[in-house]
Amino acid sequence: MGAFVGISGRMSAAAYFGCVGLLTLVGIGIAMLVRPAFGHTVLQSIGLEAVPRAEAASFYSTRVAPLFDSRCVSCHGDRREKAGLRLDSYAAVLRGSKDGAVIKPGDPKNSELFHRISLPSSDDRAMPPSGKTPLTPDEVTVIRLWIAQGASGVQRTIAGAPRLVQEVRIPQDDPQAASKARASLSQQVRKLQAEMPGVIAYQSRNSADLEVNASLKGSAFGDAQLHALMPIQAEIVRLDLSGTAVTDASAAMLAAMPKLQVLRLSGSKITEVTIAALAQSKSLRSLTIGDIKIAGNGLASLRQNHVTVYGGADAP
Amino acid sequence: MRPDPQTHIRVWDLPTRLFHWVIVLLVCAAWFSADQGYMRVHLVCGLSLLSLLLFRIAWGVVGSTTARFRNFLHPPVRVVGYLKGLAGGEKILHAGHNPAGGLMVIVLIGVLLAQVGTGLFANDGVKFRGPLALLVSEDMSTRLATIHGLIFNLILLLIWCHVVAIGFYMLVRGDNLVWPMVTGKKPRTHVPADSNLIFTRSYLALILLGLSAAIALWVLAQGG
Repeated sequence: MGAFVGISGRMSAAAYFGCVGLLTLVGIGIAMLVRPAFGHTVLQSIGLEAVPRAEAASFYSTRVAPLFDSRCVSCHGDRREKAGLRLDSYAAVLRGSKDGAVIKPGDPKNSELFHRISLPSSDDRAMPPSGKTPLTPDEVTVIRLWIAQGASGVQRTIAGAPRLVQEVRIPQDDPQAASKARASLSQQVRKLQAEMPGVIAYQSRNSADLEVNASLKGSAFGDAQLHALMPIQAEIVRLDLSGTAVTDASAAMLAAMPKLQVLRLSGSKITEVTIAALAQSKSLRSLTIGDIKIAGNGLASLRQNHVTVYGGADAP
Repeated sequence: MRPDPQTHIRVWDLPTRLFHWVIVLLVCAAWFSADQGYMRVHLVCGLSLLSLLLFRIAWGVVGSTTARFRNFLHPPVRVVGYLKGLAGGEKILHAGHNPAGGLMVIVLIGVLLAQVGTGLFANDGVKFRGPLALLVSEDMSTRLATIHGLIFNLILLLIWCHVVAIGFYMLVRGDNLVWPMVTGKKPRTHVPADSNLIFTRSYLALILLGLSAAIALWVLAQGG
């Protein structure tokens, strides 16, 4: 013990560091009381408090959390924790900020979070702050109703909640990407277009996808002509063989076209042999077979693959 | 309560003592202002800290004996040896910083500089940007803001270690380190008899502080 006895009969090192440990614990305790969010974090991380979790199908997960993710988490998430508040998980939302809970279940008017999102944008305390996209009235209503109904992580629906509006993003054409994609096959396409005028065309101005309409050629377009398209077959998305002389000899080629989505075969020489082969296509979405006779449930595989089939007569 | 000149000897010069206590005040003010959202005050605290840290580095080169880095910077082996001796109850006298204290000074200056540096480029995601935030990408500024927040926790830990160490010397070793940092004087019995302390004139400190403040203002101006 000698080494731990302080000189001049003062406090021993062991006693001192014991006091320091005690003081540290008291300090952490005070911090947990003063900063409830910190308190919950500590208790939850050492397993003395259950971590609240929201179900994936709950109103919180499907309607409230996406709003927090899109409007709040950039400042109240893992990268930044303004005011000690995180809104990137159900547990964090309930934990609150450095000043305490921001949600008072059942009482939106006295919930700091709802108060802040309800303030006019001219108010310095309004959230999201000026310059950021504000919540729409419907979005504010969603959060108000969720708090009013108890801020549950389990409840799936809330009566009177505005309908969910799905944001639809239309992909923009990229002319540079299209010309890059076209570069490798443009020579072949031009050659085939010269040989078969009016049959081959790009699907759109900014696309490398091809449409082939052989129905214009009628019986003059057979297996040989279809096989002549082999160099460009990987880019064909729509193929109209209606009224042509194409036969089952081309079944393998048709089934192997990687991008083929729409195929028209009515009036051609094709039989159920080709139809069966087409069940292997992973891209096909629409198939017109006219009066080609199909035995039994020969179309079942295609329909299982979510291919819409038009026509088809029962085989005798 | 002025120390008796017969029993006490001057070890700390005025600039070093002022630096120490103003840093304490500025760190507290920076913490409070950031916590309460007074970001202009926080900016002033940060720039003042930058000036003082630059001054302290210069003072560590040309200042008084106990303020100079070369007199309290020791290799790690010596620091460990000192701490072992401390645990063994040895009483080794030092006029200024002991080897462990010297290491703490360097670490604190380094960490505070990192904190000020990251703060210059940080943004709070709402209305405040550090004076140099526009010189880096938004993403980098946000990353530095995160680091700024993390370093603050490290500073709190270092402050706690500093206070615990001071308490250890005071309560276990009977060596009050706080009062000398106020008055500048230590009991003669706590200072090696062969100490040859030379004090640099305070006007030089004023000049260095002015230069440091000018550098801090120049940094501020770089943000446009």
